[in-house]
Amino acid sequence: MRVSFVSGVRHAGPYLEILRHDPRVELVGVAEEPGVPEWMLRDSQHVARRAETAWLPSVDDALDPDRVDLAFICSEPTRHARLAITAMKRGVNVVVDKPVATTLDDADLVLDAARDARGFCSVINRTHSPALRRTRRYVDAGYLGLPRHLDVEFLASGRHFSTSVERPGLVIDPALSGGGELLNFLGYCVDAVRYLTGLEVESVYAMTGALFGAGHADRGVEDTAVVSLGLEHGVTCTVTVGRVAFAPGLGPTSSSIRLLGSHGHAVVDDDKPAVLRYGGHPALSAHPVGGDGSAVALRLFLDHVVGRAVEGRAPDYGLADARAGLAVIDAAYRSVASRAVCAPAKRGGGTADGAAEGSAAGAGSDAGAARIGVHS
Amino acid sequence: MTPLRVAVVGTGSFAREHVVALSQLSGVRVTHVAGSDLGRAQSVAALAPGAIGTTDIAGTVGLDGIDAVDVCNATPDHKRWVIAAGDAGKHVHVDKPAALTVADFDEMVTATEGRGRTLMVGQTVRFQPVIAELQQQVASGDIGDPKLLHVTWYTGHVWPNGWRGWQLDTALSGGHPVHNGTHSIDLAVWLMNSRPVEVFARQFATFAANMPMPDSFQLLVRFENGSLATLELCYALRQPGEFLRRIVLAGTEATLAHSTEADPGLASPGHPVPPASIEGALAAQLAHWVHSIRTKEPFLVTNRQARAALMTAVAAQQSLDTGQPVQIEQTVAL
Repeated sequence: MRVSFVSGVRHAGPYLEILRHDPRVELVGVAEEPGVPEWMLRDSQHVARRAETAWLPSVDDALDPDRVDLAFICSEPTRHARLAITAMKRGVNVVVDKPVATTLDDADLVLDAARDARGFCSVINRTHSPALRRTRRYVDAGYLGLPRHLDVEFLASGRHFSTSVERPGLVIDPALSGGGELLNFLGYCVDAVRYLTGLEVESVYAMTGALFGAGHADRGVEDTAVVSLGLEHGVTCTVTVGRVAFAPGLGPTSSSIRLLGSHGHAVVDDDKPAVLRYGGHPALSAHPVGGDGSAVALRLFLDHVVGRAVEGRAPDYGLADARAGLAVIDAAYRSVASRAVCAPAKRGGGTADGAAEGSAAGAGSDAGAARIGVHS
Repeated sequence: MTPLRVAVVGTGSFAREHVVALSQLSGVRVTHVAGSDLGRAQSVAALAPGAIGTTDIAGTVGLDGIDAVDVCNATPDHKRWVIAAGDAGKHVHVDKPAALTVADFDEMVTATEGRGRTLMVGQTVRFQPVIAELQQQVASGDIGDPKLLHVTWYTGHVWPNGWRGWQLDTALSGGHPVHNGTHSIDLAVWLMNSRPVEVFARQFATFAANMPMPDSFQLLVRFENGSLATLELCYALRQPGEFLRRIVLAGTEATLAHSTEADPGLASPGHPVPPASIEGALAAQLAHWVHSIRTKEPFLVTNRQARAALMTAVAAQQSLDTGQPVQIEQTVAL
């Protein structure tokens, strides 16, 4: 499986590190678009060097179907959609870093492009987390009865900002990120909810704040949000998400879910089970069984992608999944702006409840897109 | 030391616990247990040496021979007996929720504090050992400013008397955010030290689809200082007495977290006991009440905080009724 990277400014480092050790993968190289800021060029070249792969002279080289089977899009989020469309049009398989796009209009353009594409287009997600998969087995076995509610928490540590994020601007500068931490993280949570329940989100209410002083307030984007989701069949969900000073987990992020069913409940925690170590430096440390939850979820997803690609099949997470998550994010931002309950916009312009809320997709205008990520 | 003479109004399961806890405090004498059913009143009174069971509630709260009244009957009757006790010059303790409306609560405060006596709302959660530790950490300033609170509170509990249970009637209980939500809302007000200004709520029923007061709900709360909270309550865990509570409080300098999953304790089917992190709260609460009456030290639960929490709970029920977020106009400072 010949793999290239288009841009390497966001998350390319860990992806390359996993892929370069996969015996099924041949790294072709990393490329960057012309005209990007100098730091993007330097960062992309840097990840190529660290992964000991080639620096390609152009994006055309990275998307040449005669040389490449699978291209990863690892630019800043606001370039994701355009680069993904370009890659699909060249005929290679594509994996886009999350979020797939920063507006629903752009996500729909990606979906349109995928209809005519020769290969697949998937998006980075965490649904291969062992804890999530284990809990899905409980649901499928009927051990919980019917799911009634989910309590989802995904928090990142602002104090690890300088090491867990390549450059803070990639998360907090709307020109690069497209939004704040809602756009950055809520998609993971929606993915988990949809994966566990098989239900779609019908209504969203959200409150946001820039509370923790990691630079979000200066850029007008949120670092924290509490979100209420109404799912099909009256199932409910809350999401507590953001970049706090210290996440209550073992690494730079913590992720947990409590799932209430009609006949039982379950807890999902990416950090557990864990082994505690007393002594040494630091004096107390915890070691999740199987490894760091985020890293394991990523490794397993990339393993899945490569395996499917080798078989000529698409990964189990597609653009429709990513679009559903982005629609919830879009509804959350509209909810924040309007202080009203909003429905995720369906493809083609409608909302679940038919409300005319001027969504990015529904209105088909730039107005909705501009609202995404702007903290009010 | 002259014993503090306390009359208890109420004969239900909570009144029973109050009588037991009060009778074990030194310097306290439970003189009367008053309720509408003489047999139950006498049965509960038997738990305290020398206490008299009676149905004459009005006569009891006005007796010269008592110093204080502990009102722990059904919520709709709180106002009547708190005011009667206040009018008679007694110190009053009232179980949570103190009232069904803020207006009622204000009248209760006026009838007690307004007459130079005291009123303390029994927000038992504040006296749980783990909550006391959380609050001490916050008060020390070590976590910086608290900004995000996430409380997940699940238990297995069915209200008594089946469909006859008064708790299911929202006209009597105020709805679940008022009836039980005041626990976590008060906790949030206390830990965040700010008044809620917006709430959004959803609910679901697990026990039965047509429950007039569903067993579970969740709140999103925005505070005046911009902080946020997610507060969840579910009474529908499968095993009676089962308890799962997780609290995460993120401050600007550190994050506090506790889950009852980590509590050591008893594993004996058929013998549910409270987790170690919450045990002994009612006894501590009533001891604090008695101590503050004697010493005139401030109560841990201020009526301004209780008012802010009740106002939020009422707003949360309004949000459940309408499906819309509710902006809260808090008119009294904490």
